[in-house]
Amino acid sequence: MRVALLLVASSTLSVAACGGDPVGTAGFTDQQVIADFADRVVIPTYALLDARVDALHAAAVALAATPTAANLDAAQQAWIAARVPWEQSEAFLFGPVSAQGFDPALDSWPVERTDLDLVLASGDALTPAYVRNLPETQKGFHTLEYLLFGEGRSRQVAELGQRELAYLTATAAELADISGQLAASWTVGSPTFRDVFVGAGTNGTYPSLDAAAQEILVGMSGICDEVANGKIADPYDAHDPALVESQYSWNSLDDFADNLRSVGQAYLGDVPAAGSTGRGLDAIVAERDPALDARFRAELAAAIAAIGAIPPPFRDAITDPAAYPAIEAAQVAIRTVQATIDGELAAALR
Amino acid sequence: MSPPVRARLVAAATLLAAGCDAALDAPVAAGGDTTIADRTSNAYAQPAANLDAAGLARHRAGDAAFSAVFVRGPAPVNAGLGPQFNHNACEACHVRDGRGLPSLGVTGSQALVRVSLASGTPTVPGGAVPVPGLGTQLQDHAVFDVPPEVALVLAWQPVDGSYADGTPYQLRAPAVTATLPDGTPLGAEVLRSFRQAPPVFGLGLLEAIPDDALAAAADPDDRDGDGISGRVNLVWDVDAGAARVGRFGHKASMPSLAQQAAAAYANDMGIDNRRFGAAPEITEATVDDAVFYTATLAVPAPRAVDVDAGRARFTQFGCAGCHTPTQVTGDHPIAALAFQTFAPYTDLLLHDLGDGLADGRPDFLADGREWRTPPLWGLGLVQTVLPGAGYLHDGRARTVAEAILWHGGEAGAARARFVAASAAQRDELLAFLAAL
Repeated sequence: MRVALLLVASSTLSVAACGGDPVGTAGFTDQQVIADFADRVVIPTYALLDARVDALHAAAVALAATPTAANLDAAQQAWIAARVPWEQSEAFLFGPVSAQGFDPALDSWPVERTDLDLVLASGDALTPAYVRNLPETQKGFHTLEYLLFGEGRSRQVAELGQRELAYLTATAAELADISGQLAASWTVGSPTFRDVFVGAGTNGTYPSLDAAAQEILVGMSGICDEVANGKIADPYDAHDPALVESQYSWNSLDDFADNLRSVGQAYLGDVPAAGSTGRGLDAIVAERDPALDARFRAELAAAIAAIGAIPPPFRDAITDPAAYPAIEAAQVAIRTVQATIDGELAAALR
Repeated sequence: MSPPVRARLVAAATLLAAGCDAALDAPVAAGGDTTIADRTSNAYAQPAANLDAAGLARHRAGDAAFSAVFVRGPAPVNAGLGPQFNHNACEACHVRDGRGLPSLGVTGSQALVRVSLASGTPTVPGGAVPVPGLGTQLQDHAVFDVPPEVALVLAWQPVDGSYADGTPYQLRAPAVTATLPDGTPLGAEVLRSFRQAPPVFGLGLLEAIPDDALAAAADPDDRDGDGISGRVNLVWDVDAGAARVGRFGHKASMPSLAQQAAAAYANDMGIDNRRFGAAPEITEATVDDAVFYTATLAVPAPRAVDVDAGRARFTQFGCAGCHTPTQVTGDHPIAALAFQTFAPYTDLLLHDLGDGLADGRPDFLADGREWRTPPLWGLGLVQTVLPGAGYLHDGRARTVAEAILWHGGEAGAARARFVAASAAQRDELLAFLAAL
């Protein structure tokens, strides 16, 4: 797992709590922000994901029923649309999405192409139970992406035979099932994970509101680290397109930008695409240090713009020297966001 | 931000956290100078606070190796999985660098079953005797056109009990059934041991404790008469071609992180490498990176809360007899790990834990009732890192209290003191453990 290298965030919060006061009386005390993070950010993001994966499934069914170029294009667009809320959920990859394995079930990469070809070439009936038992590397977003877009975004509808279309439909149905489980995952069980998180300070999992606030900040910081130093750096440093995630759809740069938008939504307590607004960390920061709040928003916007300045597709940019300055500028801009989260933001929130 | 700046800030943060510990908590930082102050779900997944820039870069490469998802190949990246395996990535079972869930099955499996025969010819001198056709580990997953070795089903059986004050409790014990591809059950002659994936942070510190220090703490004949023996496992070192002190794995059957990681690549993921397998499917550099990663994962500092009463109970009940609070490292090629005083709460020795936990499967000198004392550092973060995770070698304990209640054998007296204690005294101990 990729993580933030620097956790002044957590350190400062912890240290704030150890000046002799019992934990819980010092540090972060805004319960509404924690509640809204769960109710107005996490849960609506997963609900939006579930709705868009359902739409992707419907588009796959339509494509299988009537394999036309228009229906292939519609299914591709549905995949891209479903990708948005998933990437916008990656600033909060804690809780059920991790513990219950939804992340690898939805987003395993790379695709197990060898076995996928063998399944397609076999006569096995692609029943829901059969697909459920296939490995995660033969299902999920990236397998669907490969089927829908092909190598080099070159897929022609004539290349999709009955087996491919049946597999596409079956794995889209499976994806919809999993996104449905994920959408419910914070509000099922006893206690629900939502109640554990919002009940920070009354349970051992999050023994203080500080701990819950740290979790939000570490998630925001961690996805910045992942994008700048993993998703971008790994393929760029090796100049190897095979290492690029979302390479079939050429959607990588949008993935990265949505990851940064996820950071912003976690900070603001809002998910515009879901029509959801709440009290965010920004309310506290703006009250204590309005200049910092403004600066952080500007840094986030700059990072998203810097990602947008990389010439698409990313898989080609990493081997094009003319694109290298833009790639490195984006990394710098994202690391700036991360440094502010780890430093000043954390300090302002303690 | 450049790596040197990060390292400096982390160091500063660590000093602050250490000062906090000194004031309110144990005098020894949990991971020495590697310690970080993080009580989130990422608490096990941070680089050691005292790594230099080169170390951080190497740690990052190791992070990529540890999280890489493998496929069978041929493939442009991460080829080599299988043909039979347990899972497809290190972190798939060592979730967020912590433990896995005690789960088996076609999907969601994060545990495994080791097997052997009671007699026969071991693969390496002194080691477990492989089962013909199966080896020493059941691989319950496989690539498309190869059957898995077995199908495994995990069920739980309730075990009732009560504290001395009358408070009832219910534990659960695992029951694993193994079915061969032809539909017949795995033979009764096969010894089997169900284990979940253990946490992987702080392992470099454990590796850097000198062999002599472990041997000095051993008391195989219980000469001090405290009811606790403590034995060193002597295991086969494939690099040295000789027996060495074992310290990794649930029965201390691995002498080094490198051998542990190489064996995990080969057995857990079916990926041949220089040490294990016919033809290497990954480079030695990949194994080295993964090893460096686990060696340099930081240890999270305890919560800064007053748990002195519970700490006293820990000693009073006898827990510290095996869960040795403090250890000291010797020299180590990774400077960040050398000459550290730290607080893992383990002696890394083998102890008889009684019938309740016995697997009946020997591994080198470890008999079927013995287990290696696991570290307790980070224990209070288990549910934060992986909600629903279990404790003990197989995850049967759903709470720390259940884990204590399963102790027997050499730990029977400590368990008895816990059972006899008042609810308030038990809570004091549990509060101390929850702060770790």
